[in-house]
Amino acid sequence: MSFLLRCPNCGERSVYEFRFGGEIRKRPGPEDGYDAFLHYALYKRNVAGVQWEWWYHRGGCGEWFKANRNTLTNEVNQTLLPTDEEQPG
Amino acid sequence: MEQILFAWNGNPVAAEPGDTVASALYRSGVRTFTYSYQRGRPRGLLCLTGSCPNCMVNVDGVPNVRSCTLPARSGLSVLAQNQNVYRGFDSPAVKRFPAAPPLSESAHHYEHIYLQFDVVVIGGGPRGLEAALESASRGTQVVVLEKEPALGGSEALAQKVLAHPGITTFLNCSCFGVYEGNLLGAVQIDYSRPNAETLLHLRAGNVVVATGAYETQYLFANNDLPGVMLSTAVLRLIRRHGIVPGKRAVLIGEAEQSAQVRAELESAGVQVVGSVPVESVVNAEGADHVTGLVTDTVTYEADLVVMCGPLVPDAGVVASARGQAVTLVGAVGGEGITQRDYLLPQSAQSADAIACLCMDVSGQDVAETIEAGMGHVELIKRFTKLGKSACQGRMCQTAAIHLCSQITGQTIAQVGTTVARPPAPPVTLGALAGMRHHPVRRTPVHDQHDRLGAVWMDMGEWKRPRYYGKGNQDECVEQEYRAVRERAGIIDVGTLGKIEVKGVDAGRLLDLVFTHEFSTLPVGRVRYCVLCDELGTIVDDGTISRVDPQRYFLTTTTGNADFVHQWLEWWTAAAGWKVTITNLTAGLASMNLAGPLARGVLQQLTDSDLSSRSFPYMDWRRASVAGVPATMMRIGFVGEMGWEIVVAAEFGSHLWEQVLRAGAAVDLRPFGVEAQRVLRLEKKHIVVGVDTDALSNPYEAGMGWVAKLDKTDFIGKVALSRLKQSPLERLLVGFELEGATAPPDGSPILVEGKPVGWATSVRYSWQKEKVIGMAWVTPAEAKGGTGITLRSEGVDYPARVVEEVFYDPAGDRLKM
Repeated sequence: MSFLLRCPNCGERSVYEFRFGGEIRKRPGPEDGYDAFLHYALYKRNVAGVQWEWWYHRGGCGEWFKANRNTLTNEVNQTLLPTDEEQPG
Repeated sequence: MEQILFAWNGNPVAAEPGDTVASALYRSGVRTFTYSYQRGRPRGLLCLTGSCPNCMVNVDGVPNVRSCTLPARSGLSVLAQNQNVYRGFDSPAVKRFPAAPPLSESAHHYEHIYLQFDVVVIGGGPRGLEAALESASRGTQVVVLEKEPALGGSEALAQKVLAHPGITTFLNCSCFGVYEGNLLGAVQIDYSRPNAETLLHLRAGNVVVATGAYETQYLFANNDLPGVMLSTAVLRLIRRHGIVPGKRAVLIGEAEQSAQVRAELESAGVQVVGSVPVESVVNAEGADHVTGLVTDTVTYEADLVVMCGPLVPDAGVVASARGQAVTLVGAVGGEGITQRDYLLPQSAQSADAIACLCMDVSGQDVAETIEAGMGHVELIKRFTKLGKSACQGRMCQTAAIHLCSQITGQTIAQVGTTVARPPAPPVTLGALAGMRHHPVRRTPVHDQHDRLGAVWMDMGEWKRPRYYGKGNQDECVEQEYRAVRERAGIIDVGTLGKIEVKGVDAGRLLDLVFTHEFSTLPVGRVRYCVLCDELGTIVDDGTISRVDPQRYFLTTTTGNADFVHQWLEWWTAAAGWKVTITNLTAGLASMNLAGPLARGVLQQLTDSDLSSRSFPYMDWRRASVAGVPATMMRIGFVGEMGWEIVVAAEFGSHLWEQVLRAGAAVDLRPFGVEAQRVLRLEKKHIVVGVDTDALSNPYEAGMGWVAKLDKTDFIGKVALSRLKQSPLERLLVGFELEGATAPPDGSPILVEGKPVGWATSVRYSWQKEKVIGMAWVTPAEAKGGTGITLRSEGVDYPARVVEEVFYDPAGDRLKM
């Protein structure tokens, strides 16, 4: 794995500067119950295709951001600051 | 000019300027360079272009160096080596060179450099250089990687490239792979010193591959005898090194192909006695060197057999670039290569026709493999190991494919090729590993510990004193222990994570992330904190102090500072809250002063009233200590009255010195991690990651009180609510041993011979005058007084469970 990733703060960098933070998912609330949390904690969608994910720029600005990446090709279509709303896709 | 002299198996060999080690050895009469892998067949120079495995030698202790690409240099110590000898094949019947000395730690210079270019051209031959000039003329930044010591093409072309300001050239530099995102790996070898290699991480806009083609061998009986050479090798000996390669030569190959070689051999003074087509060849003759070539009609007496072999595009790097767009120019794309049938003579299936030189796989081996049902080139490769070594199939792949096609009746396209994966060519592990960087983190008080005779231990990247002094560890630790319990001690806790959390949502964030409630923590107070994940597993612990309504100061364990920092940042980002999180670990020094006489020591250094009435347990305050601004937290991991004092890193050593001076009258001692481990064990204070594992939850650890289940929400709340209702599967309990010897941490716990858990920490307690510890056991064994057995190395250690805390169960000493 050696693709490039565009940090919204620092620009395009080697993926080795980043830490992967998993797919972006909505955390259930306490009212949603135990099964919802088990599912949230233990199951991943593992999309073969495009998904939104968290990345952390460990070797740069030290900030989390969102990336829209194709997990099959490692093509990164878009990156956003956490405050930006991601579009579905 | 100074003469070049190097050693070959201990004997001096002279070299001419421009010689490689291989050419100098050939000039001096060396013909056998190695003995083969399984059968010990003598092998000599074959390709002279770095494509075959035959000339590999041991140079200055480093094995597998290709002598044909290594420039001869005075002082080299070159030893002959056998090919990849495995113990099982090392029978005395097989011919061998003496074993080379085992690999030793030798001088090396492995570096990594990171570069970016618009265009990378792999291969500095004429077509690569033309492509480089063409790109550079459009203003792009171009780099040319050439594996040989000089650029190819005409002198004028090479000069033009070298003079061009937009072109950077790396010589002796092989590209071994094109990876995702157009990242190229290449190794440049500095032949002027031993083991000097630079790994280039090249990020390219466009990749141009101009690696050309290599010549491969024919398959016939005894095709591997020394003296049977490829035409590239013979021409290099003549053209580059002025060496007459033999006296009488026979050429194999089509007449049109061998005509040029014949002309050059003859003008060099070699008598060419015949030129024969491949399919007529029966076998080469000779014992240690070729003496003749037998065809189906004639037997030629010759000391040189030249194979004018087929050219194969050198496309290993291209094949490795799966999914990456690369542009091929020149012979690597088939340009200028005449497509000829690769012909197999009758003897191609003989046991003496060597297809794979590296692994000693014969035509017969391949044929038998196919007959056994493995009629696919990938299966042949896996079963016979053909193509799996140093030359990476360059000398065998064409032959194996054609043999497979001939035997199975499939077309060449149907047979296919094996999948090429980087690295091609091979790369040394040293080059990949690079220089040895072991980052070390030292606290601001490091030098003071050194002067006090600290015995160091590693905690991740950090160095921490295990104990101080030259004597026996147990005695040193006991003195430190007694100082803390009876008088006063000080420990450097600068390795603990220190994080500031501030902002309007700071309290809300900590309430979500930690199990306790912190939005209600009064300013000026400190609280123990536990961080759990969504499954209720303990991830970290520490303290949180409320500095002002919107500002908190956190400490974490030594190993988790970065994790906790990123975890807090992530939850803040995900929630969109207004919180600023700053990791202050490297900017602060902190030390813990503890013991019944600690107050008297610290009071000498500050005007702040340290009495419990003014400064009770679990309070914190800012004050001047030893003349520097400090934060003091009254907390007690070791179970005595104590203060954690935090100052700016630059004041750390000053504060440490001042505390030692103020404590001298009461014989205050610095104490290390080992004494701390005993002190906290007597209090049953856990160390996350030592006493807990990746499944431990607070209820099992006997710390259910940390989970504030009446909070609206926090990470792990739902799981912890469920766990609280569920029967426990195991419990962390204390125990004391009957005997005085402590088995190691991690020893299994047995009851009636059955394992029920394991001991997490086992230490001798000077307080109890017994060995004590903590252990995970099943609930049935958790009652005080239950007999359990620790087992280590076959020895049983009887013990009994102890429910109460070993030292000061009421915690009075913390609050004195």
